[in-house]
Amino acid sequence: MTSSRLPHAGYRRIAGSALAAVTVLAAVAGCSSSGSKSTDAGSSGGTTTISFMQIMINGSQKSTLVKLTNDFETANPNIKVNLEYQPDYGTLHAKETAAIAAHNAPTIGQVYEPWAAQFANSQVILPVSQYAGSDKPDQFNTFYAGVQKDLALPDGKNWMWPFNKSVQVIYSNSDLLKAKGLTAPTTWEQFATAAKAVSGNGVTGIAIDPGTTASPASGTLMFQALAASNGTPDFAPDGTPQLNSPAAVQALSYLVDLKKAGALQVGTNYPGEAALGAQKGLFDLSSAAGYYYENQAVGGKFAMGTAVLPTGSTGQPTNIMSGTNLVEFAGASKAQQAAGWKYMQFLASASSQAEWASQTGYLPVTAAALPLMSDFIAKNPYLPTAVGALAYAVAEPPYSWVAKAEGEEVVALQAALDTGTDPATALNTAQTAALADQKAGAAQ
Amino acid sequence: MGWLYTAPALLIFSVFIIGPTAYTFYVSLFHWNALNTAKSKYIGLANYRSLFGSTAPSFLSSAWHSLYFSGAMVIGGTALSLAFALLLQRGGRLLGAARVAIFAPHATPVVATSLAWVWIFNPQFGLADTLLRAAHLGQPGWLQSTTWAMPSVIVYSLWHEVGFTVVLFLGGLAVISPELSEAARVDGANGWQEFWHVTWPQLRPVTLFVVIITSISSLQAFTQFYEMSQGGPVYATTTLSYLLYQEAFVFFDTGYGAALAIVLFAVTAAFTLLQRRTGDRISRSS
Amino acid sequence: MTALPSEVRRRGLPRRRTGGAARPAGPAGRARHGRLPVRIVAVLAGLLFLLPFYYVVVTSLNSASVSASVSDILLPHWQWANYSRAWAAAPWPRLFLNTLLIASATVLLALATSLLAGFAFGVMRFRGRGLLFGLVMSVLMIPGTVLIIPDYIIANDINWLDTYWIQIVPWGASVFGIFLVRQFFMGLPQEIFDAAELDGAGRLRMLWSIGIPLVRPAIVIISLNVFLASWNSFLWPFIMTSSPDVQPVEVGLAAFAGANGVDFPALSAAVVFTTAPILLFFLFLQRHFITGAMSTAGGVRG
Repeated sequence: MTSSRLPHAGYRRIAGSALAAVTVLAAVAGCSSSGSKSTDAGSSGGTTTISFMQIMINGSQKSTLVKLTNDFETANPNIKVNLEYQPDYGTLHAKETAAIAAHNAPTIGQVYEPWAAQFANSQVILPVSQYAGSDKPDQFNTFYAGVQKDLALPDGKNWMWPFNKSVQVIYSNSDLLKAKGLTAPTTWEQFATAAKAVSGNGVTGIAIDPGTTASPASGTLMFQALAASNGTPDFAPDGTPQLNSPAAVQALSYLVDLKKAGALQVGTNYPGEAALGAQKGLFDLSSAAGYYYENQAVGGKFAMGTAVLPTGSTGQPTNIMSGTNLVEFAGASKAQQAAGWKYMQFLASASSQAEWASQTGYLPVTAAALPLMSDFIAKNPYLPTAVGALAYAVAEPPYSWVAKAEGEEVVALQAALDTGTDPATALNTAQTAALADQKAGAAQ
Repeated sequence: MGWLYTAPALLIFSVFIIGPTAYTFYVSLFHWNALNTAKSKYIGLANYRSLFGSTAPSFLSSAWHSLYFSGAMVIGGTALSLAFALLLQRGGRLLGAARVAIFAPHATPVVATSLAWVWIFNPQFGLADTLLRAAHLGQPGWLQSTTWAMPSVIVYSLWHEVGFTVVLFLGGLAVISPELSEAARVDGANGWQEFWHVTWPQLRPVTLFVVIITSISSLQAFTQFYEMSQGGPVYATTTLSYLLYQEAFVFFDTGYGAALAIVLFAVTAAFTLLQRRTGDRISRSS
Repeated sequence: MTALPSEVRRRGLPRRRTGGAARPAGPAGRARHGRLPVRIVAVLAGLLFLLPFYYVVVTSLNSASVSASVSDILLPHWQWANYSRAWAAAPWPRLFLNTLLIASATVLLALATSLLAGFAFGVMRFRGRGLLFGLVMSVLMIPGTVLIIPDYIIANDINWLDTYWIQIVPWGASVFGIFLVRQFFMGLPQEIFDAAELDGAGRLRMLWSIGIPLVRPAIVIISLNVFLASWNSFLWPFIMTSSPDVQPVEVGLAAFAGANGVDFPALSAAVVFTTAPILLFFLFLQRHFITGAMSTAGGVRG
């Protein structure tokens, strides 16, 4: 008998707690909606509120951005900055697009170059000249040459301001290198020799992730760096894909050769970092901004080396610039435009960049930050060289189709590394698809 | 009166689903610029034409991957859950616990557990490969392999979904007639014959229900593909619904994505109707 | 062990018997299949399904730099620091409260709309019933991803961005729920409602006092389904909200997969402490869920 009563008691309990929950909900909803109302107003009582949409959602990236923003607000008591966090670049792009479509864009947002191109074509972001009064305001000249070039779109005007820039670096297990009597490689040839020398017994020279068609990862960046080091980058400056150039075929063959020799493994979720940390990998190619995570994975078990990318057949140093810039969205009031510009300059200033770089591993965009980072440099002697790469590193050209065409590179890598497709064939297929992407993109 | 009772649900559907779907159909006829709608261009059916004409990946290959996944989920999921239900149909503490264990995955968020499975399938440090390595067996590479990526996603999805359908079958088993089974046994039928001629026919309505909800949900499945394989490698897990996400949400080719959505809707509807009619025919003929 | 519905309800549903859990061990003849092998297979299957849970717990207690041996992967190393790191990464209590509020409110709303609409479709006769029902069913087949941007624009127009409402109301009608309730009512003898009508009971009162007790199993299963759907949403809250005041737990989980690396142990720790309450809740109420789901299958044949 008791058992047949139990369910009833259970239901009543559920119904009771649900009812209580709704009561609380109504109360909390009341509070929060009144709370959000007050922050909605762009400027009131002499205070200007701006919003900044970004992905610095965790670790030292978040804490440093919060600290810098607090410093900024203290120095500018009449400006309030709302930090809006997104989990990753994909969601950030989606949310920025949705917000623009609803005429509800934030004041400032992080963008990759191809997004900026799309935004500018649709007239939903502002050129720098509009809020800074000049296409090349004073701070522009403090940036590294590569960073300066990265701010303009094909129309020649500056549309972006730098924030979190980075280049690719090689992390390595220095102890393992030393044990084999090797030194950090300065050419890709030495890199291959070292990778093959250590491989075997569960150790693999390098583990890479080509990424996905939606977001290419370190493996594809390695291919791009190799192609550039062989003399032909994957895209011409006008955005035309050149994925089946001899340099590109040579780059992909290099990766396939390493794989065949057992010196390269394919994985996902930062496989190089995991392998390096587990002492199962010799190298990892990753963004300089991955420094915090690499260190965490290594956990002091061995000496971790950091070096700029090796050189290829041309002998010239090459690198792929990564990280994003900031833009101001159209629709901001004059007061918000001015406040946003102040904040963007603050983030790109020598002192902010020094702090940001020391905490996150991103590279400072201005040489003036280096003297302020002496502690960090003492511990991380690679930094001046990595920063030096900002002078020559090249970002993907800012055309809307480039993101999609990079996806074709990912597929070529996967086909060559997994199914054993011949590199030239894989890259010819990729080139055909990329040219179609370009044609479709240019028609938009 | 009936209209009044259905009004609250219909209002919600109209505002947030049916209205936007009509809008989606409209958008699919344009070269749509979501950022600045004034810059959109009417292009008629061109989005549909380029959809069927695309090569990287081809429409047919994405449709095939959808079919592969849904087929495995419908056939594998139904067979597996029926088997578990037969296994667990009797009460008892132990079988009750096993029932809970099988149902538990369904109560976990896909976002969290698919990430855990990505880790399990990690070729260097994952559980799956570590066990295979310890047993000196070959390692398929799981999500890195064009051959094994789809089966890996299917294994995860079965793990997550089967608990619910097992329970539905348990319910179906609970309401079948014991008299018929008894009569069959009196006639000397063995276990298999009893199942095939007596139990199974009575489970048809539940089976049809399971088949229909599984095919709709697997044709629309997206989160596990997004978390585990992102359509790769070499498009091996690019299903229609993943492709739709990528076109509409990664590359923001809104008009093209909208056309894809309309096609996916048509495919799902056609599938469901086909299954219903087949189901009707089977139950009429039996 | 048994969860028998009351005698009255059982008489009300002549074609349906109680769930399998409640069923006394089957007819004697069934036992000849042998119980021991059945038990062994059942236990093995159960363990196999639980293995990933164990694995997540172990990962949450290992350091980020594990080596790749079986024992390192399968045995915990008691790195509790992962938990404190995970706990510090997001305002969990607030997020959890939000999830609870959003999910329970969604369940209540979905129950109300499903009962009303399912009752109408199952019992009432009105012009356009078939057409409307077809329309409702077709909603199930619409791919959700394309709706996000139009829905964002609508939410913006009605000032619902960054509120609880946008996370509740759009999910407050369930095709699955309407379908189930309809099936249940269709399976009931029409005379129950005819008799009530003679009594002069209003339709709404009829639904409340006669209908709801009879479709209770469907209510349980709809609640579970809607709750899990709400608990599962990920892209939606990210797009529709921006402040932790109204965001759910899943948003917190995203804090571990950064753009330049992933903190797997901390992520696993967060998965453990965000999923455990739901699993406990489920364990506590599992009998209701399972019998509810089982009666649902019974209802399907109606």
